[in-house]
Amino acid sequence: MADYNLVKGHDIRIAGVPKNSVVEGKAPEFVALKPSEFRGVKPKLMVQEGGHVKIGTPLFHDKTNSQITWPSPGSGEITEIKYGPRRVIEKIVIKLSDEESSESFSSYNPQELNNLSREKILSALLKGSIFPFIRQRPFNKVPDPDIIPRDIFVSGWNSSPLAVNLDLALRRRLPQFQAGVDILNKLTDGKVHLSYNENTVSDTLLNVRGARAHTFNGPHPAGNVGIQIHHISPINLNDLVWTVNAQDVVRIGNFFLTGKLDTTLFVTVGGPSVLNPVHIKSRLGSKIEYLLKDNLSEDENRVISGDVLTGTKSSLEDFIEFYHSTISVVPHETSREFLGMLRPGSSSSRYSLTNAFIGSRQKDYSFNTLKNGSERYILPIDTWENVLPMDIIPNALYRAIYANDIEEMEQLGIIECDEEDFALCSFACPSKIDVGGMIRQGLDLMEEEG
Amino acid sequence: MLGLLKKVLDKYRENFEEGGKLERLYPIYEATDTILFSTNEVTETGPHIRDSIDTKRVMILVVISLLPLYFFGATNIGFQNSIAIGLERSNWENFWFGFSKILPIIIVTFTAGAFWELLFAVVRKHPLSEGFLVTCALIPLTMPAGIPLWQIVVATTFGIVIGKEIFGGVGMNIFNPALMARVFIFFTYPTKISGDKVWVLGPDGYSGATALSIPASELNQDAFTLLNNFGQFDYSWWNMFWGWIPGSIGETNKFLIIIGALFLAYIKIVNWRVMFGAVLGLVGTALLTNLVAPFSSNSMFTIPPHYHLVMGSFLFGTAFMATEPVTGCHTNQGRWIYGILFGSLTVIIRSINPAYPEGVMLSILFVNAFAALIDWFVIQANIKRRQARYAQ
Repeated sequence: MADYNLVKGHDIRIAGVPKNSVVEGKAPEFVALKPSEFRGVKPKLMVQEGGHVKIGTPLFHDKTNSQITWPSPGSGEITEIKYGPRRVIEKIVIKLSDEESSESFSSYNPQELNNLSREKILSALLKGSIFPFIRQRPFNKVPDPDIIPRDIFVSGWNSSPLAVNLDLALRRRLPQFQAGVDILNKLTDGKVHLSYNENTVSDTLLNVRGARAHTFNGPHPAGNVGIQIHHISPINLNDLVWTVNAQDVVRIGNFFLTGKLDTTLFVTVGGPSVLNPVHIKSRLGSKIEYLLKDNLSEDENRVISGDVLTGTKSSLEDFIEFYHSTISVVPHETSREFLGMLRPGSSSSRYSLTNAFIGSRQKDYSFNTLKNGSERYILPIDTWENVLPMDIIPNALYRAIYANDIEEMEQLGIIECDEEDFALCSFACPSKIDVGGMIRQGLDLMEEEG
Repeated sequence: MLGLLKKVLDKYRENFEEGGKLERLYPIYEATDTILFSTNEVTETGPHIRDSIDTKRVMILVVISLLPLYFFGATNIGFQNSIAIGLERSNWENFWFGFSKILPIIIVTFTAGAFWELLFAVVRKHPLSEGFLVTCALIPLTMPAGIPLWQIVVATTFGIVIGKEIFGGVGMNIFNPALMARVFIFFTYPTKISGDKVWVLGPDGYSGATALSIPASELNQDAFTLLNNFGQFDYSWWNMFWGWIPGSIGETNKFLIIIGALFLAYIKIVNWRVMFGAVLGLVGTALLTNLVAPFSSNSMFTIPPHYHLVMGSFLFGTAFMATEPVTGCHTNQGRWIYGILFGSLTVIIRSINPAYPEGVMLSILFVNAFAALIDWFVIQANIKRRQARYAQ
């Protein structure tokens, strides 16, 4: 047990924070899995359009490692397999049948779990298509199951804007969460690290055994698992660790207790354009339309799968992504302000980490998609450093990546980084530079060159 | 009216965009367009929302923080002139007198600056950088009131072209372009700005010593007594603080400079570490020189730290020149070292080099040159920490 109090970072005061109450979501008609969102995976389909699948039926596997398969998030008929440019499989859409059925695998009672061997657990995870819920660092992708991770990290606290309150999502899930942690403990020779916040009240998180608990306090991105790894036990050159979302720990535990894939997913819908921001008990891969029905303002909006900092541009017609549990909606704005750069600024129109505007301290600011400036040269006035709670020099790292200098990138610690941890740097940058994108580019280069 | 303006801009937009007749002049169009109306560029990937700050806003705020110095500078030019010719004038008349002298300097600086900036933006196909606004706003403030306008043109050209554009434009320059303009005049036309004679608009041949050159030219004297007994100008501490002394247009009023510096630090667009470090370095080194003063014949060693602060252009350089983010250090630890080094070098050059009693300009150039090296050490320390961990 250790306390980490981080100072750097920033909690964006965006309007439309989800209320701390859960509503039962409308049952979607369609769910989908999007193979294109998994980094470095070359998907090979295992099903065809028109075929019928159950919950948990493998839909595709990775060409480079065929034992890793991805589960169907629903039971019904595959109505569409959509291809993008260059025949990339974009999404596999399933029309849910009225009576859903699940693929069934062996189930165990909690005592039996402790006697399972690592091999047995791993093969169950792979067979049941549960394995992709695990990701690795560095590179933030689905790991190679044959490599034993040094440690496994779970963040029990979301600090990102409009994110799911895990106290709600994990309520009354202790048995499943405990089973999940037990399983994860078997998968690593190191420890399972669980971190939460001083305000965490969830019984599930506080009472689980077998995980090393840490308390992280401070503004976003203190809740990001990458930041937590950096402070608890940083990734060294040849290290490999796994990370699992807290909701997916429940899913893994449940899979071993029942033999079935639990498709429950607690989702938040929030942002300035959402009329009634709230937590929704929904399911994996749900069509976004069903989550936002009658809950949007009339204006032109941008729908984002994920949080406003790291999410992907989406639409009502699209589906929530595999690792996401937030749907954010912000107004899409294209208006231009006369002599905007000279205006002193008012509380309703400007939000800044600097004090360059009068009255920009207001709560619940209604953000829109405007960049508020054009891309310019880097102006090193500390804006990046102030929101990055890591012992990393972002400016130097950025330049190393820009110069494609792999050796220096490595020396400056790129393997500890992920783009999501740098999203706030891009948010705050006065030169509107995509710092996170650059980190991603550097990671891609590192991966390519081995 | 606004709608019309917007329509006109939109109407001609296609001429400047790719494939248009005036494609090459796009940076000029873009600059005009985005100065008049804030850009409507939207985010494409995450982060989907952005902070409201942009470089335009940053630059314009620096310019705003300089405005009071212009007002005071104009008034002071008139005031010094009235003393020189022995005429009673009100502050208002002093202001208008000074204003009529500095307006041409401002116009010439901005015209020359904008010309080179636009030319390079068009030829090198980079967006017009708003940084030139700050550069051009700083240059007149570092100049004496009677400077010939053609020298301003040459200096501004040197500052922008050699100081900035040949390195690839703003963001890649090593030395502060505004300071380069000042240095150019300093070394090329030493009869105009030598640093030891005052700059006052007065009758021909009217001159006098600057505060710094008084102790510099005497041996075995106490600077404090020398300054307070100087007859021609009032070089008491408070008078130097309030700025009613001869000097460059913008450097004399320390009160307004401090207000400007606090403003910039408060709105978080310049780094307080540099400013704080500089004052620390200056005071520390000045105390050291005071300690060795009894063993030396150099009267400069006897200047107390609080006098160093208000003499010459130290505070002006600290607030507006040394804090320039691109040419300074880019790491926070580095900024401390950079600031302290700047402050102590200022005292060292002032005290030990009798040819240049004003050390601020040279010490900023010096630390500019060392900024990358200081950063290198900070970065190496970071790398070493990580490697020590890897080795475990």
